[in-house]
Amino acid sequence: MTDVVFLVVSLLTVFFAILALESRELVYGAVALSLSFLGAAALFILLDSIFIAIFQVLVYVGSIAILIVFVIMLVRRDKWANVTGGNERILGIIAAVLLFSTITYFSLSSSLTSQYPNPTAISNFYEIGSQLINDYWLILQLTGLALAVSIIGALTMAKFENR
Amino acid sequence: MDTPLVVLIVLTSVAVTSPLYEMVFGKKSLKYVQYLTTLSLLVSLILLISSTLSLTPQESTVPHLLRNDTLGSFFSLMVILVTLFVSITSFDYMKGNSNERIYYSLLLFTAIGMTMLSFAVDLLVMFVAWELMSLPTFILAGYNKQDKLSNEAAVKFFILGALSSGILLYGISIMFGITGSTNLDVISQSLTSLSPDMLPFVIFSTISILAGLGLKLSIVPFHMWIPDTYEGSPTTVSALLSAATKKAGFAAAIRIFVVIFPLFYFDLSLALSIVALVTMTLGNLAALTQKSITRMLAYSSIAQAGYLLIGIVVLPYTDLGLTGLLYHSFNHAILQASAFLAVALVRLKTSSSSLDSYNGLSKIMPITSFCLALSLLGLAGIPPLNGFWSKLILFAAAVDGGYTWLALAGLVNSAISVAYYLLVIKRMYMDETSIKAIKEPFMFISILVFASAIIIVTGLLPNVIYDIAEDITISFLANNPV
Repeated sequence: MTDVVFLVVSLLTVFFAILALESRELVYGAVALSLSFLGAAALFILLDSIFIAIFQVLVYVGSIAILIVFVIMLVRRDKWANVTGGNERILGIIAAVLLFSTITYFSLSSSLTSQYPNPTAISNFYEIGSQLINDYWLILQLTGLALAVSIIGALTMAKFENR
Repeated sequence: MDTPLVVLIVLTSVAVTSPLYEMVFGKKSLKYVQYLTTLSLLVSLILLISSTLSLTPQESTVPHLLRNDTLGSFFSLMVILVTLFVSITSFDYMKGNSNERIYYSLLLFTAIGMTMLSFAVDLLVMFVAWELMSLPTFILAGYNKQDKLSNEAAVKFFILGALSSGILLYGISIMFGITGSTNLDVISQSLTSLSPDMLPFVIFSTISILAGLGLKLSIVPFHMWIPDTYEGSPTTVSALLSAATKKAGFAAAIRIFVVIFPLFYFDLSLALSIVALVTMTLGNLAALTQKSITRMLAYSSIAQAGYLLIGIVVLPYTDLGLTGLLYHSFNHAILQASAFLAVALVRLKTSSSSLDSYNGLSKIMPITSFCLALSLLGLAGIPPLNGFWSKLILFAAAVDGGYTWLALAGLVNSAISVAYYLLVIKRMYMDETSIKAIKEPFMFISILVFASAIIIVTGLLPNVIYDIAEDITISFLANNPV
């Protein structure tokens, strides 16, 4: 049963991801992207990572996809709608297929068998918070600094200057 | 003392608050921001020098995330020194830019990222530090918002930088999947007991990590952005990119490769040696044909990355490799910073970076020309300047490690590089110009003279830095046997 769900969810995720890239209309692309994010969240649930699944929905589907829709709405230009590709497209497809087949080959020839994690590994929110504060606080701090830089930089770049 | 955390606190306190001073102090705030930036960098520099000279690894509050060893201190020292040069010369270079206060804050954020990257022993810390180092540089590259070239530089750099971060993170996640940890010590232990059929994943993860790091290390084939970005961004920022962020990337690469090498050192060394050969050859040949000095220095920076890579190639075979890498990193940081900053001054005064504007420069900007000539000679590896000694050690390491052909290739490349370096010097000293003498700003010149003094002194007394590099190598490899 889980296999069937996994297969359906992965196929949908990949389908919407391709649609997000290929769609001519940017709004459809944004919607397809958020559906693809939802698919990824479903995959995380299948892997018993509820915590990551919640964040995937909250951050990616909830805010990032909405942000993309807003940006499209605010800065819409017709000339951006028509993107014509040259040889890069074929190169991209070849690279993607190569990468996919390499990883598949590695996985099939390795001793990896179990698709599902240990059931006891269901994430404990308390444990995650405790580790984040006690053991990995430096990473949390540095991430905070990186976010601060992003905001400062974005404001600097977006600031209107009259010259 | 826990140097990395103290440096983190010192730099962060200024970096986070300095964009806000304008609201409190008004117009005077610019001076305060400049002084505080310089002061915080100076304090960090003194701390790092003392911790490098102590020559023993010290306690760390977070031993599983940061290792407070001399290797980290040495690389941090380099990057902080370069950041200090860049920030002081920017007093003149960025004058009149409407976002001048934020510029110094972004410089400090990059410095924090680079320092953390030099000390990190956890892949997650490395990744976050990597981002913290990269994000400000994307903005700094596009700091001249009205300049089309600067915009192009920033966009190219940002897209490739984001891609490389993604690839790096992918490699890290696969490594985590195989070993169950992001700590390099735990990874190193898990890898020794790894079942052989998982080896392809290790190779795949290594290639991803190398490709991710490769963008900042400026090795071929991840070098495409370099000439455009170095030319388009403010030249002081190019100095930072070439002399500082690249070195921090090498610090991370050393720590990662020391862990990964024992698994398949022969193949990896061979692959890296070919990358090194292609990198130095392409860099030098492309530099020969450039019309703009910033592009020429950009290609020369690619070529120098090829020389530095020799140190990583022979890492499993001889201790001399790491010593040479550390030694050349330091010399290259000073030389490249000095060269780019001299070019920045010329660009500031003549608003041009084409080679033609260097004709007869020695008559109108004598001190700048002298410092530029000195750093170019150092980059070419002319004795007795410091660049000669470190290249000598690197090539000796290549011979010692069984890569004689790579040493020969390096020698041939050095010979090629002399041609384009000397061409600039010939233009500056032999050719004539009609422009009248230009006044050289005091602060800018004092930094250039200071850098030149380091180049000459460490060239005449090569033992000073070499001994430090050797001690660091011994203590680092004692803790991380390859």
